[in-house]
Order: sequence, then structure tokens, then C-alpha cells
Amino acid sequence: MSVTQKEIKTLARLSRLEFSDGEIEKFAPEFEEIIDFANTINAQVEGDTGSIREVVARTVKWEDLREDVVKESLPNEKITSNVQAENGYFPVRRVVK
Amino acid sequence: MKYRLVSGLETHVELATATKIFCGCTTAFGGEPNTHCCPVCTGQPGALPVLNKKVVEYAIRAGLATHCTINTTTHLDRKNYCYPDLPKAYQISQFDKPLCEHGYVELESGKRIGITRIHIEEDAGKLVHESGYTFVDYNRGGVPLIEIVSEPDISSPEEAKEYVEKLQLIIRYIGVSDCKMQEGSMRCDVNISVMPEGAAQFGTRTEIKNMNSISYIEKAMAYEYSRQIEVIEGGGKIVQATLRYDERTGETSVMRTKEDAQDYRYFPEPDILTVVIPEEKVEEIRASLPELPTDKLHRYIDELHINPATAKLLYKYKRVCDFAEEAISLGAGVKNTVNLIVGTLYSKLVTEEDKEKFALPVSAEEMAKLVKLADGSKINITLAQKTLSAMAEEGKPVSHYIKEEDLQGVDEGQLESICRQAVEANPAAVADFKAGKEKAIFALYGFVKKATQGKADIKKADEIIKRLIK
Repeated sequence: MSVTQKEIKTLARLSRLEFSDGEIEKFAPEFEEIIDFANTINAQVEGDTGSIREVVARTVKWEDLREDVVKESLPNEKITSNVQAENGYFPVRRVVK
Repeated sequence: MKYRLVSGLETHVELATATKIFCGCTTAFGGEPNTHCCPVCTGQPGALPVLNKKVVEYAIRAGLATHCTINTTTHLDRKNYCYPDLPKAYQISQFDKPLCEHGYVELESGKRIGITRIHIEEDAGKLVHESGYTFVDYNRGGVPLIEIVSEPDISSPEEAKEYVEKLQLIIRYIGVSDCKMQEGSMRCDVNISVMPEGAAQFGTRTEIKNMNSISYIEKAMAYEYSRQIEVIEGGGKIVQATLRYDERTGETSVMRTKEDAQDYRYFPEPDILTVVIPEEKVEEIRASLPELPTDKLHRYIDELHINPATAKLLYKYKRVCDFAEEAISLGAGVKNTVNLIVGTLYSKLVTEEDKEKFALPVSAEEMAKLVKLADGSKINITLAQKTLSAMAEEGKPVSHYIKEEDLQGVDEGQLESICRQAVEANPAAVADFKAGKEKAIFALYGFVKKATQGKADIKKADEIIKRLIK
């Protein structure tokens, strides 16, 4: 499995991380090693990963789903107890410009 | 060069369940911030979601009403993205096995807009941006949504409008959501591209996010269509991007391009087991569906012989239809029933919402009584209108307004003799009428109205008078 430097750059951008060209160059073979390691699982099931899901998937019966009955919510003080709430809201850094 | 518009819509609809999709918190709109919340819907560590049965039921209802097939084995998936409106940093949604697939909505022209899929997911919280900060309210977080994805079958803003209206109507009919775009319980993302007429391949598309009004959808599509053509004609290329529409300027602007496209890293939601829906359950839901709007419209026109214009004024409002149909089943004539509803009751139901709710204090029984009097010419249509209008305002029964004795003077024999008197008392008008002055007959109508205190059926009187003076 080969990982290109371009792919690493894309991943870095999506992860909001900055790396030097030297670092990225070093990462490529390391990434390959990691992916190859994960591939040993694929090799065990001869590429058919879908069957793993079938084997492990357990199901829930219709009658075990939750009935649509309102339960009391928690009071605002409890919900916001881990933050410095403002007028009952969770304040965060501004997310739009 | 001529360009074809190619568009598909993703429509989010909030389901009208009492509780959220994965916890027992209320879905009531509004409320003090962060008071409809619990550990599950605020993503506290260790809290586990339990799927609401009604959400699955409602989604199946929506699927069946749009001719979808139902996947009776279905699971949920995690869609990862990091934003403060999403406390878990992932949304529980559906990826590769949506509950419903391969349906359609039929437009008036007979054209079908394909439904690719309908899946269930949770809504995000609400962000309020103020004085340099963002404030988060998770009351809406975890409210159940269905996302209805259409095929790129829409080829004009008008078709988009009709599609959304039809969808809205169907979903309201089946009682799954109120679909109030202004309150956000229905919102659309519009995908749009253009391609030269006759081309085989779709152009690059852009997506306009979060449209909350049908007229904005139309305007935004029209704007984006021209903008894309302009770019192409100018030798440029359309960049795949997510856009926002500015209602004030009527223009679209870029939110993010494909370069920044999120990688959602979908994977099967491990906290919720695969759901197996019994076939009988699906059939039970299918059997419980009401007559759908298009079927009702056709029945009104073809079987009840209501004229198409009137039928179209009625069929959109389920409660109005139920009221009309009940009155008719109690013996009221179709024509007078629907004309009185559209002519008199609608003047009291000004907005769409008024008609939707149909909260007038007139019962179908009283309506039937009144209509039957008009049907039998015991009262004329003007009196029927006046009476109905008063009934709708005061909530009193027909008998409060129309007494037995009022009905006696206008049976056919009586009317005939009054008409005879009218003819005898107005020889000049009769002569004028015979000489071709059609309007002269109004003098005779006047006589009849006066003699019957306005209770006579003038149409009937007209027939009698014309027969007498022939």
C-alpha cells in the first residue's frame, strides 16, 4: 500500500495540522507501515470485510425500541454545570466570521 | 447556446414525535435554552442512545407515501464532524442502508421526481452569534429528522417549487410533520448544475445550503443558473462548492469549496444495534395511510364531479376535506357543500395556516343540515351563505337562525304563485323583457325577494317567471 505525500498533505489540511516538507517526506513510509499492519486483518478474511459485519451484527427487535413517551429533562443548572453558562447557554468562541 | 438546468434537492423534515430520536426529552419548539436536554442529547460520556420507535414508524410512513421500498434491515451510522452545535462531535445518521429508497413524487404534469433515499438522523443544536461569541442551545439537538434526497430530475425553479409543495402536502397529510419552513421544521439544500442542451454529461454542481422558504429556493436557483452560465460562457469553470444564499441581495456566495470538503469518516454506529422491522409492521403502516393528496384530487374531480378549480382549493387541506366529506356522507349535496366552503368559510380562513387548522365552530352535522335546506330549495343560496357565515362566527346551530316558519313560504307551489303575482304586477317590465331588454326581469326578481323576505331561490324563480311569460 503506497501513501503519497499529496495524500498526507490533504489529511494534514483536514486535520488543521502544519508540517514541513521534510516531515511529510518522513511520514510517507511510516503511514505505509501502519496501513500494511491494518491490512493483515483484511488478509485474514480474504478481502471480504462485509462478512465481518454480518457475523458480529446483532439486532434489536421492533418491540424493544423505545416508546415515544416524554421523560423529564435535566434542569439547566445541571446541564450547564461543567461550564460558565451565560443566560443558560453554552458560550463558545465565535464560529462564524 | 442553450443550457439545461439540472437540480436535485435534499430536504430535511423534523418529525412530529413527542420525544427526541435517542432520548425521552421533549421535542417542543423553543423553550428556555438548554432545558430540553439530558446526558444523551448533550453527548455526556457514557450516555447511550435508544432509538425511538415512532421515528422509525414515521420515516416508513413518509417512505410509503412517496412510493419507496422499505429496507426492513437497517442500521445507523456515525457521521463525524466537529462543530459546537454537535456535542458528541458526530451525528448519528444513516449512510449505506437508508430506511427508504427508490420512490418518487409525481408533479401535476405527470412527471415524476425520483426519491433516491429517505434516512433518519438527529438534528443539531442551535447557535446564536452575538457580541463576538457564539452561544449554544441544545434543545433542538437530537430532535428526529428525515432527510429526503431527490434524484437530479428537477429542471426548473418552477418544478422545484412544485416538488417541495407536493412533498410538504404529502407529509402533512400523513401527519408526520407540520413542515413549517419558517420555523425550520422543513429546510432544503439545493444541488444545481447546468449542461449544454444535448450534452451527455452533467456539469459540475454547486450546493446551496439551508433554504427555508420556497420562494427563496426559486430565486436562488434562478440566480445560480444564470451565474453558472455566465461563468461558462466567459470561458471559466464551475468550482464545486457549498454556497449560501443571501436573501437581501438575492445572490449566492461561497461557504466552502471541494478542497475543504469534510471527510465524515462514516462508520456503523456501535451504540445502536441493527434494526429489524417485521414485514407485518410495514404492511400495518401501509394500511393506516390516509388517501394521499393526488388521489383525493382525482377522486374529487372524477367521482364527485367537483370542478377542478374548486377541487384544487380544497384538497390541500386535510381537515377541510374531512369536514366536507363528512357533511356529504350525511346527505349534503356535493355542489352546495363545496361552494359554501370555498365561498363562505374560506373568507374566514385567510391564511394557509387557518385553512390547515380549520378551527371553525361549525360541525359537519350542522353543515349538512344547512346544505340540505339549500339543496331542497327551502332557502336560497344567499341566505345559506349568510347563515353559514353567522354560524362560523357564533358557533350556533342552524335552528338558531332559520326557524320552521321561515321555511314554509318558499316551497315550489308558493313560489309559483308569488311569481305569478310578480308578472301581473309588472306588465311594463314583462313587455320590456319580451322586447329583448334582458335586465327588465330584475324588477320581477325584486318583487319575489320582497314577497318572500329574501328567502326564495331566485334561480328557481327565474325559471318559473320565464315559463309564465313565454
